[in-house]
Amino acid sequence: MHDVKRRYVIPGDKIAEGNFRPLMNVIKSGNALIATRIGIAETGRDGVKVIPLSGVYIPRVNDLVIGKIIDHSSLSWEVDINSCFSAHLPAQDVFGRDFSPARDDMGKHFAIGDMITARVMAFDRTRDPMLTVQDRDLGKIPRGELLKISATRVPRLIGKRGSMIQTIEQATQTRVLIGQNGIVVVTGRNPEGIKLAVRAIRMVEEEAHTANLTQRIKMLLNVPDTPPQQEAQRVGAVGASKPDEIESTIDEVEEELEVEEEK
Amino acid sequence: MTQTRNLIDENGKRTDGRTVDELRTIKITVGRVKNADGSAFIEFGKNKIVAAVYGPREVHPKHMAQPDRCVLRCRYHMSPFSTDTRKNPAPSRREVEISKVMREALEPALMLEDYPRAAIDVFVEVLQSDGGSRCAGITAAAVALADAGINMRDLVAACAAGKVDDKIVLDINDTEDKEGGADMPVAYMPRLEQVTLLQLDGKLTPDQFNECIDKAIGGCKMVYEIQKQALMQKYFGNETELKEEIQQ
Amino acid sequence: MSASKRSTIIVEHLRKQQMWDALARGKRLDGRDFNEQRPLEIELDVIKKANGSARVKLGDSEVVAGVKVETGEPFEGLENKGALIVSAEVLPTASPHVEPGPPDEDVVELARVVDRGVRESEMIDLDQLVLVPGKTVYIIFVDCSVVNADGNLFDATSYAVVASLLSAKLPVFEMQDDKVVDTGNMQPMPITTVPVSITAARIGDYVLIDPNSEEEACMDARITITTADEGFCAIQKGFTGSFTVDQIKKAAETARIKGEAVRARLKELTGKNG
Repeated sequence: MHDVKRRYVIPGDKIAEGNFRPLMNVIKSGNALIATRIGIAETGRDGVKVIPLSGVYIPRVNDLVIGKIIDHSSLSWEVDINSCFSAHLPAQDVFGRDFSPARDDMGKHFAIGDMITARVMAFDRTRDPMLTVQDRDLGKIPRGELLKISATRVPRLIGKRGSMIQTIEQATQTRVLIGQNGIVVVTGRNPEGIKLAVRAIRMVEEEAHTANLTQRIKMLLNVPDTPPQQEAQRVGAVGASKPDEIESTIDEVEEELEVEEEK
Repeated sequence: MTQTRNLIDENGKRTDGRTVDELRTIKITVGRVKNADGSAFIEFGKNKIVAAVYGPREVHPKHMAQPDRCVLRCRYHMSPFSTDTRKNPAPSRREVEISKVMREALEPALMLEDYPRAAIDVFVEVLQSDGGSRCAGITAAAVALADAGINMRDLVAACAAGKVDDKIVLDINDTEDKEGGADMPVAYMPRLEQVTLLQLDGKLTPDQFNECIDKAIGGCKMVYEIQKQALMQKYFGNETELKEEIQQ
Repeated sequence: MSASKRSTIIVEHLRKQQMWDALARGKRLDGRDFNEQRPLEIELDVIKKANGSARVKLGDSEVVAGVKVETGEPFEGLENKGALIVSAEVLPTASPHVEPGPPDEDVVELARVVDRGVRESEMIDLDQLVLVPGKTVYIIFVDCSVVNADGNLFDATSYAVVASLLSAKLPVFEMQDDKVVDTGNMQPMPITTVPVSITAARIGDYVLIDPNSEEEACMDARITITTADEGFCAIQKGFTGSFTVDQIKKAAETARIKGEAVRARLKELTGKNG
């Protein structure tokens, strides 16, 4: 149950005045809350924030990223994660504590140009990001179609609890791997399905800031749109008789808020 | 710079037909350079300038990185065919100075503490120059920085004013720059109301000085509206207003 | 001194896999055939202060060229000809891998190969650009700025240079009392022919024309062939791999055929018949 005021802003725009908490991409200047990026400003009960629409990916601990091996030293691989810094994957992470450069051949494990899924294990203002491939499902990506989107559109592509990406996967019979850093890999048996999934992903990227995107994606994929009743139940916080338009906008707001809060 | 001929006629028209308070036509296209993280192309009168931003990104050489903030690097450069007489491609002292004042004009607006150990590179290339190219370059660079998603306290808009035929005029063109009495480029952060670049080349009395700076700031505010419109157009298309209240 | 370099762009193994799959089917990743150029856009007269100018977009590679005319001393050994100087600069805006500074060996090569194509074809009738033999001649500067780099800068830059020369207007200079005077009249550039370059890259056994930056990052060798007047006037093999003689002959034939299409476009656009 909350009011959310939304507005398009550019850096320097005043979003609100008064006793609000400045959240991401917002600074307090005197009594005013100011946007520091181009994006969608949201004023809610817990504060004012701007969902950015452009900007290089800045790593956060625990992010799932897709990276490219670009070099290795005797102790670690250097990984391009499409960010302002190269990341490092320690050899110990792969070979274990008793790793020995003489015995364990780094070049055999990952070659230059290999794509991997990894998790950001450490990153702060004093050092480069450190990765791990320890978990299940992490490691070298054997095949698939590669896309790069702006990292700022990733929350929208995933959707609330994965709803947007699941819609795309199910409709196109593909599996879509999304890195928080904006790298996406699509795999599937059917080349037509892959092509359609790529189109849908590009559409989300371009129209992430607009209302009714979910509907338009469903149209592109030839998926029937679920009736308002069901949508209301999913959103939970809103009454059952709202028109579609506002419904899906709230959907989108919830998606972004929720995904952001998980961080 | 003492004038030798009249640059404003009896009807108050300048060499390009403008009045003393008129800005030249400005057109800004955002995102023009595909490989850059942010970019803008500006046509400011006859000036044609490309601004491209790469960053934040790794600093090379590594020893130039700073532990607690980002390094900002700016390059203002003119293509050999951009001026009346061909210009040698090697950087001139004028370009070196302008690169510096440009960096100092943009830095106050950027939140460089947010990107420690990284670099932000701003490249301003003048393809055709016609007076006021540093102001046009700063204007385009600020738009490119916003396009790149760099955290900024405010945009930076720039415009020059000057003295021609003993009158204070807005936005001087190439002829007025070469033959006029004084040239004052100004860069300004509109919301914070702060001046980030100010230079003067020529003689002004104290009254003329006040008039000149006021006029230039007025010009900066007009330039800001055009920057804003260009960014909104690129990012939000024709939907300039989002649905406001979404109430429970 | 020239030293081996690390490749600046490392192509992801997934993309390489897809590229090989596509090549085996006779296609490239962007859907083109091996002998297909990317869309070519040419805009003339973009720099009003120059005597001639052009902006070329070949795919996403974008180059602006400007012609400036001055007078001065002729080159040594060429006392009875006007002087032509072609230079190029890859602006640091063009890609994340460009460092600002003096041109490196790749950019020097680019400028010289483009210059060679124009000079050896004798595109400009330099005999007509002499004011005082041995002392004062027209000097034609053509400068190029690469704004965005996405592969095949050789062809993009060459087309920009040729288009700007074709559409250029020269001031008519005269000698009066040993001084050069601008009469205020204009004349067209004296053109004899229209040189066109076509660049091809070899990836494995496949030879593709007009490589984009991803294809260049995967290529083994590159060849730029400039044609004019039914024949060849400049060729440059580049990069660290090799070609078979057969591949070269085929590439030369393709360069003649594809070059003709680009030539027709340049002539039509500039109203010149060379």
